[in-house]
Amino acid sequence: MAIAGAGGRTPRLTRAALQAATILGALIPATLAIALLANLGVTHAAPVYLLAVVAIGMRWGTIPAVATSVAAFLAYDFLFVLPLYTFTINSPEEWLNLLLLLAVAVAIGRLVAIQAEHAEQVAQRAREAQALFGISRALAETRTVEEAAPMVLERLAAAAAMDRIWFGLGPTPAEEKTIADTAPGEPLPIPAWQVVLQQSPGDEPARWARMHVATAVLRRKGGRATVHRVRVEASGEALGSVWALRARDEREPDRAETRILSAAADQLGQAVVRDRADQERTNAEVARRSEALKTALLDSVSHDLRTPLATIRAAAGSMLDEAVAWTAADQREAFQAIDAEAERMGRLIRNLLDLSRIEGGALQPELEPCDLDDLVPQVVKRIRATTNKSVHVELPDYLPPVLVDQLYLGQVLANLIENGIRHGGDTIRVTARQLKDGPVELTVEDDGPGVPSAALPHLFEKFYQAGPPGEAKRRGMGIGMTVVEGLTRAMRGEVFAGRSDLGGLRVDVRLQPAFVPEEAAEPEAAGDRAAAEAGLPGTATR
Amino acid sequence: MNGPTLLIVEDDEPARRALADYLERRGYDVYPASTAHEAIRLWDGHRADAVLLDLGLPDLDGVDVIRHIRREATTPIIILSARGDERDKIAGLEAGADDYLTKPFAMDELNARIRAVLRRAGGASADSGGCLRLGPIELDAVRRQVRVAGALVRLTPREYELLKVMLSNQGRVLTKARLLRAVWGLAYADESAYLHVYVNRLRRKLSAAAPGASLEGLIETEPGIGYRIADHEAVSLSKGPRLES
Repeated sequence: MAIAGAGGRTPRLTRAALQAATILGALIPATLAIALLANLGVTHAAPVYLLAVVAIGMRWGTIPAVATSVAAFLAYDFLFVLPLYTFTINSPEEWLNLLLLLAVAVAIGRLVAIQAEHAEQVAQRAREAQALFGISRALAETRTVEEAAPMVLERLAAAAAMDRIWFGLGPTPAEEKTIADTAPGEPLPIPAWQVVLQQSPGDEPARWARMHVATAVLRRKGGRATVHRVRVEASGEALGSVWALRARDEREPDRAETRILSAAADQLGQAVVRDRADQERTNAEVARRSEALKTALLDSVSHDLRTPLATIRAAAGSMLDEAVAWTAADQREAFQAIDAEAERMGRLIRNLLDLSRIEGGALQPELEPCDLDDLVPQVVKRIRATTNKSVHVELPDYLPPVLVDQLYLGQVLANLIENGIRHGGDTIRVTARQLKDGPVELTVEDDGPGVPSAALPHLFEKFYQAGPPGEAKRRGMGIGMTVVEGLTRAMRGEVFAGRSDLGGLRVDVRLQPAFVPEEAAEPEAAGDRAAAEAGLPGTATR
Repeated sequence: MNGPTLLIVEDDEPARRALADYLERRGYDVYPASTAHEAIRLWDGHRADAVLLDLGLPDLDGVDVIRHIRREATTPIIILSARGDERDKIAGLEAGADDYLTKPFAMDELNARIRAVLRRAGGASADSGGCLRLGPIELDAVRRQVRVAGALVRLTPREYELLKVMLSNQGRVLTKARLLRAVWGLAYADESAYLHVYVNRLRRKLSAAAPGASLEGLIETEPGIGYRIADHEAVSLSKGPRLES
């Protein structure tokens, strides 16, 4: 093939010189040994040369072995056959001996060389198999091609003796996106030549086809480097390419290297197809689950909205029935029921709105400093008006301000307290403290039956209901806690659920402390002088 | 009827009728309107002592109605708005509305708010001696002195200005931006952290000056909006029987 051009000459010369030296190195000791044997009276010691032939055949293969045979033939003729020191041979018997020596030497040399080549091939195959196995394993043990690719390319670069390998995905080279590279970050080379592996159908070996890269202006910069491209395809569809750069010489990848490059590309192609199938399955699963969630949401919402609505209509309908004479107390009770149920619906709708904003990523918290001793009593006061259970608030004298969206935090706190009330607690306790490392923790706990330990990790999942499923229907839908978590996260806070000392559920909401500007060093002018003049008591308090 | 007149602007018919029925029974003269144009026509023809305004109207932005009214009068305006419309509420308050109520609200709450803004309209400005009073707090604008239950409070100039703006707006909701502009100037309108620090310190100083006096509910935080300043009558009434007419 055309690829072995001028660039291959230098190594080939070196190799020939090396072979000649080895042949000489083997022949000289053999010659000396024969001379020694002749001195000792041994005639026909020519087979000693066979040892040299065997050594050369094992090391260099057939042609050097045959060359050694011929050289040995000539050396023996010249040095040991009468008349000495000429290539002339007088006796036909000597002729026969010499020709036999030559024939045996060639045969042995060839046999030995074949054996050696065979052993080399076996070792090569073993290396190939090992490299391919490593690549398959890397692909099998990782979840995506992106994850496996760096490892695969690393092995491939070693097995195919390449200086750099990168892997791009895209229908055409221009559209490819590099997803892995053995020299990440370095600019991709601009080669003068591009060699593309042509996979032919059937068992025909793949061939490299050299292509000129059209960007003439940039060619000089690319130097002599040749970039090899192996297409990554699956069932006829172009998925991308494996690119391999060999900077040292322009030697075409040999058959083993070609095989491994091509096999690796095949495996990568299959892995890409597998990834796609996985992705499609995941998408389908996500769609199915979100469909299931939607159905659950609709079921839950319609149930939870209909329950208070039924009470409202029943109460209003009774009051409208002219056949019944209601006492003032009856009427008041009915209207209170209507009011309470309307309040319940309002709460539900608030949570639904928040949930949809959380789900849609539409939360836009306005974070600003807020004092818990200002906000907590406000929220608690509102809830106390709607329940006969007791809500205790215990806040320390000093708490740093927290960085929150006040409306979100109000909703978080209201949901936690209402959750405690709804799930059986008679007493709800709200406390807060500053943690050592800065954050402020707001805790809501109750003395209800609590949540089983196994259920705690799921508490903030959408529609999660602790307790028996049948009971869930009567308790309102499980979005309150999801909203708590979503809103808290939006404020860069964290929520933890655990068991309370009171016996029930304990939820800790960890909030970021607010950075507040240094209190300005402003003189207290107003009223100051007058106070000093009047000498009133208590004026220095602040 | 000769009670105070109310202009009620609400596009939802059942809600409008429920409000009108209730408030008529409460002794108000009610002019109901369902669109911004109708509201402006009624306002131009009749005036009113107070306005209840739903911001989500079919024809014009409710804020336009506020601007129209504010061009001619200081008539109290209460915004009726849904939760989550904080920006709209702030825009309404900035345009000159006095207070807001988040739907759904309780009728007695609405009644209390209307009474509060009507009282303010009677004048929460300084009395003849240049004094502003709110509960036990007394601000003497002439001598620049602040007393709580008679005890003098030492305030910095900024704290004094802040309290003065608050006491001049009794029965109203003041947005954070409005307070910042009034006390610190235009450039500070976004520095709500400053305001937080000063309101905090002001509250501390006021309550420390006279430990016996109750200051609860005089300056209330309105989450996401600003601060609500109670009004004098509400304070004195809340100590006695519950505010009710």
